[in-house]
Amino acid sequence: MRPNALVGFAAAILGGLYTIQVLRLPKAIAGDASSPVSFPLGLGLLMTVLGILLVLQEARRGLTNLEGVKRPAFTAPSLRTIFKAVAASLLYAFLFERLGFFVSTLGFLGTLLYLINGRRAWKLNAALALGFTLGAWALFVQLFELPLP
Amino acid sequence: MEFGSLLLKGFSVALTPVNLAWLLGGSILGTLFGMIPGFGPSTGIALLLPLCLGLRPETALIAMAAIYYGAMFGGSRSSILMNVPGDSAAVASCFDGYPMARNGQAEAALAVSAVASLMGGLFASVAFTLLALPAARIALRFGPPETFCLMVFSLAATAAVSRENLLKGLISLVLGLMISTVGLDSPSGVSRFTFGLEQLQTGFSFVVVILGIYGFSEVLINLETLALETARPLQLEFRWIRISMAHWRRSIGPILRQSPVGFLIGILPGAGAGIAALRAYRNEKKRSPHPEEFGKGAVEGLAAPEAANNACSIGAMLPMMTLGVPGSGTAAVMLGGLLLCGLQPGPLLFEPQPGIGWAVIASLFLGNFACAVINLPLAGFLVRILSIPPKAFYPFVVAVSFLGLYTVNFSVTDLYLLVGIGICGYLMKKFRIPTGPLVLASVVGSSVESSFRQSLELSGGSPSIFFRSSISSGLLIAAALALAWPIVAGWWSRWKVSKPAERPGE
Repeated sequence: MRPNALVGFAAAILGGLYTIQVLRLPKAIAGDASSPVSFPLGLGLLMTVLGILLVLQEARRGLTNLEGVKRPAFTAPSLRTIFKAVAASLLYAFLFERLGFFVSTLGFLGTLLYLINGRRAWKLNAALALGFTLGAWALFVQLFELPLP
Repeated sequence: MEFGSLLLKGFSVALTPVNLAWLLGGSILGTLFGMIPGFGPSTGIALLLPLCLGLRPETALIAMAAIYYGAMFGGSRSSILMNVPGDSAAVASCFDGYPMARNGQAEAALAVSAVASLMGGLFASVAFTLLALPAARIALRFGPPETFCLMVFSLAATAAVSRENLLKGLISLVLGLMISTVGLDSPSGVSRFTFGLEQLQTGFSFVVVILGIYGFSEVLINLETLALETARPLQLEFRWIRISMAHWRRSIGPILRQSPVGFLIGILPGAGAGIAALRAYRNEKKRSPHPEEFGKGAVEGLAAPEAANNACSIGAMLPMMTLGVPGSGTAAVMLGGLLLCGLQPGPLLFEPQPGIGWAVIASLFLGNFACAVINLPLAGFLVRILSIPPKAFYPFVVAVSFLGLYTVNFSVTDLYLLVGIGICGYLMKKFRIPTGPLVLASVVGSSVESSFRQSLELSGGSPSIFFRSSISSGLLIAAALALAWPIVAGWWSRWKVSKPAERPGE
């Protein structure tokens, strides 16, 4: 399918789901009852219409006609790297307050540097991770007096 | 004269040691962010955003502005030495900058680009000084309907200039507005789209969106090219980087002609520095008696886009600071920084208490000279950073995004949301959906909704209020024209290509 048609379908579905959620919102008790609803309702309907228009625009050229269309490329190695980076980020978010800033940041940076530089540069990775963690601590906690866990 | 005394007052604020230190730091950071391919001023300012909380508002704004125009100076370094633009604003600088460097004129190319950026920046700073007060005074007359219509115009124009597809630009825009509706609706007390999660009651902070789009997703996109061999600079050792009289004579005309073009494009919502630089390049090529020299190392082909992109970056700050309406993604990030500092961007930065607005204007003059110093005598030292592959910076950009974001609300939920927005931004970039309108809409979304609701309250629920004043009607017509323009331009260009044989006399 043409990539823009996929975007159109996604937008129409998102707009539809959003509109349903808007209609389920409670009315305001004070003032104009519909005031918290009217603006989001317009957005939901507009998103649905825009999605449908995009699908129709692509349908005129043939939904499955991919001639001359630049499709988004997803290769297995790059997806693997991105998946690992996202997983490391989610784990970092999970452990940040549990393990504290120092241990979690050191581990997180070590993981990302390993993903990029590989295992052979482990000394450089360790030095960079440690240097950055100490530098960030000095900047946030010492200079800007922002508390970190 | 009113301008003179206000500007002097601005200089007295901008010249304090703290502000000067942040001005220099921002100029260096901006130059470096502009230089490193894959990053740009938006990423640089986004990473600095959380630190705004610890700074005085004028200091934060001075630093953010310095990063913005510093990136315009720095962006050309990698264009000239590697044929890889640091950001979209520096694309046009590759066309003649790189051939100049290949012809053994790297020093001359670096000097011409820095001097052109300085001149463009100074022209734009003067124009900003002259226009700021009148623009702010006009904005003071705006009520909620005019404010709403102005924002609609700005958002529509930003979506309309999306290079890919008007509909995709609008989808990005509406998504940004949708994100801004999440959380507790304070006037009514109704929780919207929180799905019972207490953590979502405060809504999506626009900082999450900014860092997710310009920090995290930018790194995810760049991770895809990890295995590719990166370009290396042509040279890292330089003789004296200076502009010769012959190059100056060839540069001054293009600089003077294209700086106003860049500034005007900057004021227009949506049109960024990349468009300004390309337009300036085309203008000069068209009027040159030797257009065949363009693309082979023509000095004019480097000076024109460099002057225009820097003038554009300063022009883009004018509507953001005087009207409170950002005209680009980067200006939206700066507006977010102002909101974080507790300021309401708009005419109140200039009247009745003019300290902040004029301090920023004064800093534009100082900062452009600082950037010229950084990019002329110190260029040989700074460009060594180009020998480091950009991938080495990715982990630190991600880590700074996380740490900075945590210090805004001290909430781990924001970190999860950052990952979510980052993935969303990654997919948007893969499917060529512009992210600028999303960022812009998420920053101004709550203001758009509140001005919309205030207007309806004033009119007892009648939407006719948006057509009652000439200002609001004019802005709505301008928004409609902005949306119609890409369609009409598309028809026109197709007609020109397909019908020449059918036209009379052809």
